[in-house]
Amino acid sequence: MPRIDPDEYRQRLERISVLFEGIARHAGEQSLHRCPYKDRHDHCTAHFGCRNQGRPAASGLPACAGDDRLNYKSAWEV
Amino acid sequence: MSELGDIASDFIRQEIEEYIARPDERERITNTFRRASERMQAIAAALIDGDHPTVDRLTREALEAGVGALEVMDFGLIAGMSIVGVKFRENFIYVPEVLACARAMKAGMAHISPILSASGIEPLGKVIMGTVKGDLHDIGKNLCIMMLRGSGFEVIDLGVDTSPDKFIAAVEQHNASIVGMSALLTTTMPNMGKTIEAFIDADLRDQVKIMVGGAPVTQDFADDMGADGYGKDAVACVTLAKQLLGVAA
Repeated sequence: MPRIDPDEYRQRLERISVLFEGIARHAGEQSLHRCPYKDRHDHCTAHFGCRNQGRPAASGLPACAGDDRLNYKSAWEV
Repeated sequence: MSELGDIASDFIRQEIEEYIARPDERERITNTFRRASERMQAIAAALIDGDHPTVDRLTREALEAGVGALEVMDFGLIAGMSIVGVKFRENFIYVPEVLACARAMKAGMAHISPILSASGIEPLGKVIMGTVKGDLHDIGKNLCIMMLRGSGFEVIDLGVDTSPDKFIAAVEQHNASIVGMSALLTTTMPNMGKTIEAFIDADLRDQVKIMVGGAPVTQDFADDMGADGYGKDAVACVTLAKQLLGVAA
């Protein structure tokens, strides 16, 4: 099996960490005004009940009826 | 100036054209994919699509064909994730899509893991992660897991609604050094304390570091429960895990 140089690998991990840090920070900012369980099609991916969940779309996921103007967490049912 | 036409994959070309607007990023990403083989571009495309079975298969096939693990990381997995990061930052995709892409990346990295072991490169540590009993919210935990894995930790994900017994069994089974618990609800937060008590009762408390997090959790609450640390978000979670294991940040 070919071997990997530890320093070379560490450099890749650093690049991944920088990428993921940006993603995590943006997720935190975005969650202030958009439910993080809502996907790009405005379907709900949560595994719990929410009063904003509408009828299932073709994907099988319920459509999200929330407009995110109010605190979306108050609609979560668990 | 980079030429998109040099990139073989239609999918990758379209992704760059449609979503990468900043000139510096467009040039950097285009240059990376111009140097990537068609096989690597296919891995990146599947990752961007959040298609973890395809990333799994293509990564395995590439490594079996003799492609180097670092080439797979550079031109398949990391290159794909760099487009995902831009799409997320610019609000073309959202957290659920990003987590699907992270899952695809994990599928690829799983094939690289044995090569790392054979090279004497071990994970920074093993972390058991779960949302506490009675709580079904998992986004925060999943972002922490993505960050921990990306930083070199091995993570065992117990999912949501995790009982103290399940946390304990996982620590024993995997010989993990850290337990991470998440709770989003004030009603389920006390289950963090109950889990810590269960570790004490099982005589395992000294064997693991316990870190906690979640929207309603505070440093004071973590201290009161007897946790070893509190992370306010996914970035802090990684810093804390490194601190708890004495790993340089």
